[in-house]
Amino acid sequence: MIVLSFPFLFLLVAFSSLTYATSDYHESLVLQPLPQSSLLASFNFRSNASQSSFDERNYRHFPRALGQILQHAHTEELHLRFTTGRWDAESWGSRPWNGVKEGNTGVELWAWIDATDDQEAFAKWITLTQSLSGLFCASLNFIDSTRTTRPVASFAPTGDHSVSSNLHLLHGTLPGEVVCTENLTPFLKLLPCKGKAGVASLLDGHKLFDASWQSMSVDIRRVCSRPDDCLVQIEQTVDIVLDLERSKRPRDNPIPRPVSNEQLVCDTSKPYHGEDTCYPLEKTSEGGWSLSEIFGRTVSGVCPLGDSQSAEETICLRVPHERGVAISDGAVEIRKPDGFTRCYTLQPSSAFDLVMPEQEATTHVPLDEPVLRAERTIVGHGVERGGMRIIFDNPSDTDAVEFMYFETLPWFLRPYVHTLQATTTGRDGVRRQVPSSQFIKETFYRPAIDRERGTQLELALSVPAASIVTLTYHFEKAILRYTEYPPDANRGFNVAPAVIKLGGHENPIYIRTTSLLLPLPTPDFSMPYNVIILTSTVIALAFGSIFNLLVRRFVSVEEAAALNSQSLKGRLAGKVIAFRDRIKGKSSKVE
Amino acid sequence: MATPAALPPLPFNPSRVRSYLLRLPLFTRLVVLVIIVFWLLELQKVWSVIKWGSLIPDEIGIGSMYRLNTYPFIHMGFFHAFLNLVALTPLVERFEAEHGTLTAVALFLGPLSTFPAGIYILIEKLLLHSNTAVVGASVWVFLLLGSEAIKTFKSNPYFSLGSYKIPTWTSPLFACVFVSILVPNTSFLGHLCAILIGYLFGLGYLKVFVPPEKILRWIEGKLNLLGRLPHYISVDQKTYGRYGVLPTANTMGERGTPMSYLGSSQPAIRKLRGNPYFLFVHLPHILSFLCVLAGVFWLLLLPLNDYSRQTYISENALLPGQVHAYFSGSEQNIFRGYKRELEGLLPNGPPGEGQERNDVEFTPDISDKIQSVLRASGLKVATQNYEYTSAGITHQGQNVYSIIQAPRGDATEAIVLVTAWKTVDGELNLNGVTLALTLARYFKRWSLWSKDIIFLITPDSKSGTQAWIDAYHDMQPPSVQPLPLKSGALQGGLVVEYPFDHRFESLHIVYDGVNGQLPNLDLINTAVSIAGGQMGIGANLQEMWDHDDSYEARLQTILRGMAKQGFGYATGAHSSFMPYHIDAITLQTKGDGWQDEMALGRTVESLCRSLNNLLEHLHQSFFFYLLMQTNRFVSIGTYLPSAMLIAGNFTIMAIALWLRTGYYMGPKANPSVDAGASQSEEKLKDRAATPQDKGERKAVNVDPKSDTNGIIERQLALPLSFVVGLHLLGLIPLFIFNNLSHKYFTTATYTFAVVDLVLPLCLAVLLTRGFTPKPQQYLLMKSFSLLLLGLFLSTLAILNFSLSFMIGLLCTPLSFVNRISPHSRAPLRYALAFMGLVFLNLLSPPVALLGGCWYTGVSVETVLTQAAFGWDVWGMWTQVVVWCVWWPAWVIGCALLGFSIF
Repeated sequence: MIVLSFPFLFLLVAFSSLTYATSDYHESLVLQPLPQSSLLASFNFRSNASQSSFDERNYRHFPRALGQILQHAHTEELHLRFTTGRWDAESWGSRPWNGVKEGNTGVELWAWIDATDDQEAFAKWITLTQSLSGLFCASLNFIDSTRTTRPVASFAPTGDHSVSSNLHLLHGTLPGEVVCTENLTPFLKLLPCKGKAGVASLLDGHKLFDASWQSMSVDIRRVCSRPDDCLVQIEQTVDIVLDLERSKRPRDNPIPRPVSNEQLVCDTSKPYHGEDTCYPLEKTSEGGWSLSEIFGRTVSGVCPLGDSQSAEETICLRVPHERGVAISDGAVEIRKPDGFTRCYTLQPSSAFDLVMPEQEATTHVPLDEPVLRAERTIVGHGVERGGMRIIFDNPSDTDAVEFMYFETLPWFLRPYVHTLQATTTGRDGVRRQVPSSQFIKETFYRPAIDRERGTQLELALSVPAASIVTLTYHFEKAILRYTEYPPDANRGFNVAPAVIKLGGHENPIYIRTTSLLLPLPTPDFSMPYNVIILTSTVIALAFGSIFNLLVRRFVSVEEAAALNSQSLKGRLAGKVIAFRDRIKGKSSKVE
Repeated sequence: MATPAALPPLPFNPSRVRSYLLRLPLFTRLVVLVIIVFWLLELQKVWSVIKWGSLIPDEIGIGSMYRLNTYPFIHMGFFHAFLNLVALTPLVERFEAEHGTLTAVALFLGPLSTFPAGIYILIEKLLLHSNTAVVGASVWVFLLLGSEAIKTFKSNPYFSLGSYKIPTWTSPLFACVFVSILVPNTSFLGHLCAILIGYLFGLGYLKVFVPPEKILRWIEGKLNLLGRLPHYISVDQKTYGRYGVLPTANTMGERGTPMSYLGSSQPAIRKLRGNPYFLFVHLPHILSFLCVLAGVFWLLLLPLNDYSRQTYISENALLPGQVHAYFSGSEQNIFRGYKRELEGLLPNGPPGEGQERNDVEFTPDISDKIQSVLRASGLKVATQNYEYTSAGITHQGQNVYSIIQAPRGDATEAIVLVTAWKTVDGELNLNGVTLALTLARYFKRWSLWSKDIIFLITPDSKSGTQAWIDAYHDMQPPSVQPLPLKSGALQGGLVVEYPFDHRFESLHIVYDGVNGQLPNLDLINTAVSIAGGQMGIGANLQEMWDHDDSYEARLQTILRGMAKQGFGYATGAHSSFMPYHIDAITLQTKGDGWQDEMALGRTVESLCRSLNNLLEHLHQSFFFYLLMQTNRFVSIGTYLPSAMLIAGNFTIMAIALWLRTGYYMGPKANPSVDAGASQSEEKLKDRAATPQDKGERKAVNVDPKSDTNGIIERQLALPLSFVVGLHLLGLIPLFIFNNLSHKYFTTATYTFAVVDLVLPLCLAVLLTRGFTPKPQQYLLMKSFSLLLLGLFLSTLAILNFSLSFMIGLLCTPLSFVNRISPHSRAPLRYALAFMGLVFLNLLSPPVALLGGCWYTGVSVETVLTQAAFGWDVWGMWTQVVVWCVWWPAWVIGCALLGFSIF
């Protein structure tokens, strides 16, 4: 049922996972041009540390900062995702790594924590989020109890864990978090070569964050070949989809001004074509590009910390074999038998560049169709009520799709689960109301508690072949307390995307919907501001009088008389008394 | 007797105020008079009193020493003078009562005005080196407050706030600080100086300036001031303190003259207050009429500079016109290419001018071409079919829309750019559609979009956007397809219309939404600021092509806006967005000038950039406003009283009628003028016997005739069922006019005008013959009807000010229409009732519609078809207000006249 998408990535992973026992560090880069002049670049970095050395706090390639956090928070397995943008499945096909290495828009974190009970697990989870927050410069510390869930069936541990350990899965997400360069820098610092050498040297913040879609992931798990021979493995990936046109623009002139008349590509066959009239022509040839153009730099050699194999086939390119590619001297090209893949082995110390000249495209690398399309939107209007609509589209004409649907809703969105309804639309376009139990095999529902935890809803669903299933339910919006509103209350509140997991535990496919914006009833904040201003005035007045009382020097009547006396002697005496007072005052303060 | 025995006493006793004012002593009166005279003098422009008499530090010389004395009398306008008078009068009165008139004159014309002035000048000139002029009697206010505070301090030194003891003498300082915070343009320093002198005076340091008692007594005795001057307070009182000895002979003697002078009005007022006929019949009519007058007058005041405000950008994130718009150069070649491509698909080639041009439909070929162009530009494209049937006419079409997904965006927010194939006036919007296609291609290249941009191309301006926006929120009727492609929450909408081929001169901004909802003022301000400030294109509102910013032009703009808001129809493709709280406007090109499509494109680009900057949904600025010029507006707080006063007139009348029905009006119960007048006169005679100084209530209680019999029971069943029944009956015309085929609308309107003529008379006959209602019940019918009308209209005024105002004005006669008493002479009664019926029939809903159509030259069928379309498609509520609020009230008004015939 499940189509392996991006098989090459998987082959690569399979190949490298064979070698993990021997290699301590491995890195790779896969480049694949996508339709609409986009380029997918998948970076992968993997380091190992043996369990024994990890326990002895002898980190070699494993990042020490992360290792200490994990040991402190008793975290056995950790998955951290930073994602922005949306994957355009319609044009780009199915997701890289089958969606396993990507997360919700913003930040997503889930971990298996070793703890005796739920409370202890949560305390450790808070420790973990606080520490990671500092390490990755992200607001992970905002993952509190309202944003933490314990998914039942949507996530499974990927590593090997001893049966005896009491593991708790906790999952948190921050849909509003903006991922930017301050997250990339600590990410690169975790790498042994820190982005100075090897493929990581291509990762420049300016280019990376100009991408149309981008996902960074950190996975830490334990892999055991035998029960007593375990490795702690950290795998970091960066997947970006670059817009080639945009990336090729020079940095000093990034504005896409209208081109000059001569540079316009026009359809000259049109009868009206002329000096001042132009019907633009679609480009049929693939634009040329080079690594140095789109990343702004070349690959500076190989990370010397890796083993000898890691230099082999570090960079792979997915284009048809007849496509001409120019590479730097010294690098070795290996063509794979599938007809679309070629890999390059780099020279350890010399820079590597790759140039794709402009060429008429004849064949294209086949893209896999996504197995399921999912769309989730908020419907209805007004600030009191609303509805959620989730559309599952099964493009296959033969196979039904079975999957887990997992969503977490903030507590101020109160779903009415009894209104959960399903309609199905066949290819004929006729909508039919059907009982939702026809599609929902299993339900796990954990209702929200105000200000304590959000709603958690997990559904095991099955969508028949060649049909579209629409789930709808109504919800009510809670009214928040005045101080609970964020500064930009009128923007709306982010609702985390839903996670869809297809397939079994072996080769799961993950799909995530887009995040949503929920408008809540918002007070007119200018009124409280007026109140604040008035209060401030009153406080200022009160402060003035208290300050006056505090700093005024109180003297006895005789002293005052002495001060007031006009004689020189009296004045002098007054000065002396004042001086004495000051000294006394100081000493008494010290006491 | 019909005396208002049950009326509660007023908490605010006007007689007390009057007696206080009458007892004001002489100097206080003089001060008040002089201040008022100076204020009146300021009204003329020839001689500036303020310049002449104010305390200007630099102007003080030997020749201008008079300023030290004149400045407290002079004020800067009415409010300044009024507030100071209110504060000053009790204080000076108290001072004078304690110290005597002569002392007050001596002190206030002497040290108490020159000393503060002197200190002020010293500090201002020598220490601060500035030259701030001061005027106003507030100096005396603070001075007297200061001296009073010292007195209080002596008797009651502290007031404690928790554990703190605050000396009471600081209270004027607090007052001074609060006044300087709350009231702009007050002289903090001047007040401080005054308080200082006040303290000195209170502590007795200024005693030297008080003239010796001996001399005063001598002057008083010599000139016999006590006998000659009214309200004079003698020195003797000073000796005995405030109210110490108030020799009765003394005060009575001096009061002789004023009592006789002012007393003439007193019995007249008493007479009116004691007159129930005046209280229940005349007064409500007067009040209602005044409310209506004030409401209309208020509206007429709005265009003045004092009541309107300059517009401003409230949302800082918008930054209108701060970015350079690059849409130019070779984009124009592409625009021409797209345009020629679309023209090639028109059935008769390139369109000419006139009607032929406007007959070009949005064919599937054109739809396909638009889709292919958008797809080639790299956008996601989808279509939506819709079909609406209203008044027997089917509207159908296919919306084409496409989305530029924001790079790095997550589909949470979006902006919509709409171009309709046909503008709202039915013109072919070829340039607008082409511009949208060109802009889509151009916008796709930019990476700065933080929100998705949706390009929506609809076949027409009326139903296309409505179908699309309904489906976007999944609220569409079954005849409208759902949207296959969606984005996030819509943050703003722009509609572009360019319905001709030549260049244009200015942009016309259309902003009215369905049911009179308006977009956020920030959006309009941004558009005006970008068009005018950045692009140098003029902007117009409400079809005011040559707005000279005069009062008339402003008022006309307001009235046009109110008409559109009141009728509540969609004025463009943007109107459909408003019910979903999405702010949208239409930009229409107008005139023949030198701006081309690229200038329009740059305006749209700059507007999109501004909207793209938004961090939150537009919420900062006003949603309720009346625009009178592109840069002036009045907000709801200023204009709302106008409609509220008009709605309030019905409520006042309803309450008065309710009260009136609760009293037994004597044997001749009918409120005919003669009976009422004779009653009141009779009552007056009774009253004359009672002592004048006794309270009103006492007088009433003594009156032997007004006992518990004065209250009678109201019989509510018939009036209530009549009023409620008529309101429910309004649903019938509502249903008919929204479901009839458009062919019959004209006939139906005329039929209904006739029905309206007959129905009230039939009801009158039925009720009079069938139930023989009591006179009281007629009044109750009117009371309930007006109560409901007032209730509905005041609620409506908040939602749709203009509609409430218009209906309120049309209903005004209903407040004053009564059943004419059967005791009046029959010919007069018939004539009056007939004339009243004719007049009311001229103001009936169908006749008002016919009249309006005749005046504007639009056919009745068009208007009603539009209205039915509005009800079916846009969700317009105007008809409900007409048939379920206005019409029932109107029928009851007519029926009341009908009752007087039968």
